[in-house]
Amino acid sequence: MSTPETSTVSEALPPRRLDPRTILIRSLQGSPSVILGIPVVLAWSRGDGVPVAFLLAGMALLLVVMLFFSWLRWRTFTYQILPGQVVITRGLITRTRRSIPAERIQDVSIKQGLLSRLIGLAEVRIETGGGAEDEGRLDSVSLSEAYRLREVLRGIRTGVTAAGASGHTGEDEAETLLFRMGFARLLGSGLFNFSLVWIVAIFGILQFFGQALGYDGDRWLEVVGIAERALESRLNASVLLSVAGLAIGLGLLAGVIRTVLQTYGFRLTHAGERFRYRRGLLTRTEVVVARRQIQLGLVERGTVSGRLGWSAFKVQTLGGSDHVSGRQELAPFARPAELAPIIALAGLPPFERSPLRPVSQRHVLRGLVGFVILPTVVLLAATTIFPPAALLLFAMPFTLAVALLRRRCHRYALAATSVQVTRGVLRRRDWTVPYGNVQVVTVRRGPVQRLLGLATVRIDTAGGRGINGPHVHDLDEAQAAAFVGDLIERVKALGSSTPSNAH
Amino acid sequence: MAFEPVPLQPLERGYLTVLRIRAAIGWLFVAAMAAVADGFLQWRIGLSPGVVTGPFVVFAILSIVFLVPGRWRRRGYAFTDRELHVASGWLTRVHIVVPVSRVQHIDVSQGPIERSAGVATLSLHTAGTENSLVVLPGISRRRAEEIRDAIRGRISDAPW
Repeated sequence: MSTPETSTVSEALPPRRLDPRTILIRSLQGSPSVILGIPVVLAWSRGDGVPVAFLLAGMALLLVVMLFFSWLRWRTFTYQILPGQVVITRGLITRTRRSIPAERIQDVSIKQGLLSRLIGLAEVRIETGGGAEDEGRLDSVSLSEAYRLREVLRGIRTGVTAAGASGHTGEDEAETLLFRMGFARLLGSGLFNFSLVWIVAIFGILQFFGQALGYDGDRWLEVVGIAERALESRLNASVLLSVAGLAIGLGLLAGVIRTVLQTYGFRLTHAGERFRYRRGLLTRTEVVVARRQIQLGLVERGTVSGRLGWSAFKVQTLGGSDHVSGRQELAPFARPAELAPIIALAGLPPFERSPLRPVSQRHVLRGLVGFVILPTVVLLAATTIFPPAALLLFAMPFTLAVALLRRRCHRYALAATSVQVTRGVLRRRDWTVPYGNVQVVTVRRGPVQRLLGLATVRIDTAGGRGINGPHVHDLDEAQAAAFVGDLIERVKALGSSTPSNAH
Repeated sequence: MAFEPVPLQPLERGYLTVLRIRAAIGWLFVAAMAAVADGFLQWRIGLSPGVVTGPFVVFAILSIVFLVPGRWRRRGYAFTDRELHVASGWLTRVHIVVPVSRVQHIDVSQGPIERSAGVATLSLHTAGTENSLVVLPGISRRRAEEIRDAIRGRISDAPW
């Protein structure tokens, strides 16, 4: 769209290098440790009388060495678009020549960090759906080159697929805006991202800088000691409340800041077989998700925001996600009515609540054992050695409530074209996994489960990691056997075609 | 026991030998370290020889005679032409079902111990992330190749 490339398929330009400004960026990115080290070194050297000029010269030398290596890496890295493939060559002593066949290119995403945005560079990633992270990374090229590359690579990709398909996925198809987040909603969603973890992180950083700037640990302790003594005299309910209020306020602020940094200006657009989303305040990310890459859909409702009718829609893709779970967020904070058309366009069936069936009643029992009885025993034992551990016993009524509510929130069903699972007491998650994307089914029975005659069915999909998968916990053993048999039967009936291929 | 959607076949008798040899090698290392500790303690504090090594040897023999067969018995497999079932685990029992159409590629391998016992290992690679590799050890080489050929015939037209 941005650059009219007509004869893209037959392009055979000589190999290109990355943008030379990459050298500068790389050495700057590598140098925070050097820059941060300056005050530390200065603080130490004050007593020893090492000449400051000498130290600075050493650091300059270090920077020059880093620049040289960055230059070397830039010099030896080339990429070339040939008919039907992309070739990336790199390495000085061991030359690596990697060719990515056009039919394996899923899509091209563009990412810009703060530094890159300032000087107009972008990182281009060629998504192949393979496991390797760095398979097709061009870090960095100029922004215009990034757009050009995307158009060209899409050209050779659709050139391949259009031969088989009807070819209606033209490049100049207009993108329709599916979802965007205004600033008011962004702030609103930030309020629900309340996190105390960030406060801890901030204090950690303050501590680090305090040390780096030459404050002694003793001085901190002294300050804390004075504060403590001052506080002790007037420590009462109102002080405690205001401290708690401050902590909550900081937690809210931290959540808002994090959300604004991550999802500022979120826009989801759709064209043909692709979604494209852009987000980020400082680091601008633009990711394209091809529909056939989508393995499963997940609607997540937060502990508080979910009760107020807000939810997030995520999809799991073969690759291309920065997140550890391998998921991509197509709508971070939306109403169900806004999500429905996105889910439909993603080729996923709607999540139906009525046919869902509960798991075994012993699910509650196992929750009681795992969440309440066992922790209580452990905590009581720990209290004999370390008395403050008793404080954690106050959490037990809370875990008891979770254990009791667990079964009510956990349901599953084999729908017409997908297996659907819902789980979670606080944060509720609804999974939709099309049968075509189920890879392996595993049935696990731990010692407690075997005692109770229960089994957990885990559904493995491509690209999924972590504990929050579409698993069905604690089915009755006979029920589990029937469920697995039925599921495998449906998977087989679909053969190996993914739902998007069937379209 | 209770969860068995298809009747499982036991693994080859030879695989029990393989497991025993492997366990014996592992225990041999442990026993060697225990013997060194024994010698050291005898030299320093005059402990009578075999105090440390003895219990280890007893436990090793018990393990090889009783525990290893238990583990072997828990393993099983079934190939129903359209899916492969692999069961294993002694304390936590795991039963994996791999639809044949989901297999990316297959290896049949045979290590030196396995070769002497006449068994082979069948490895199935899938596109899944948690179970990207499903391993079925302890079947005869002929059976492994049979299964491989049966699966190979079905995955040739898979899209990825």
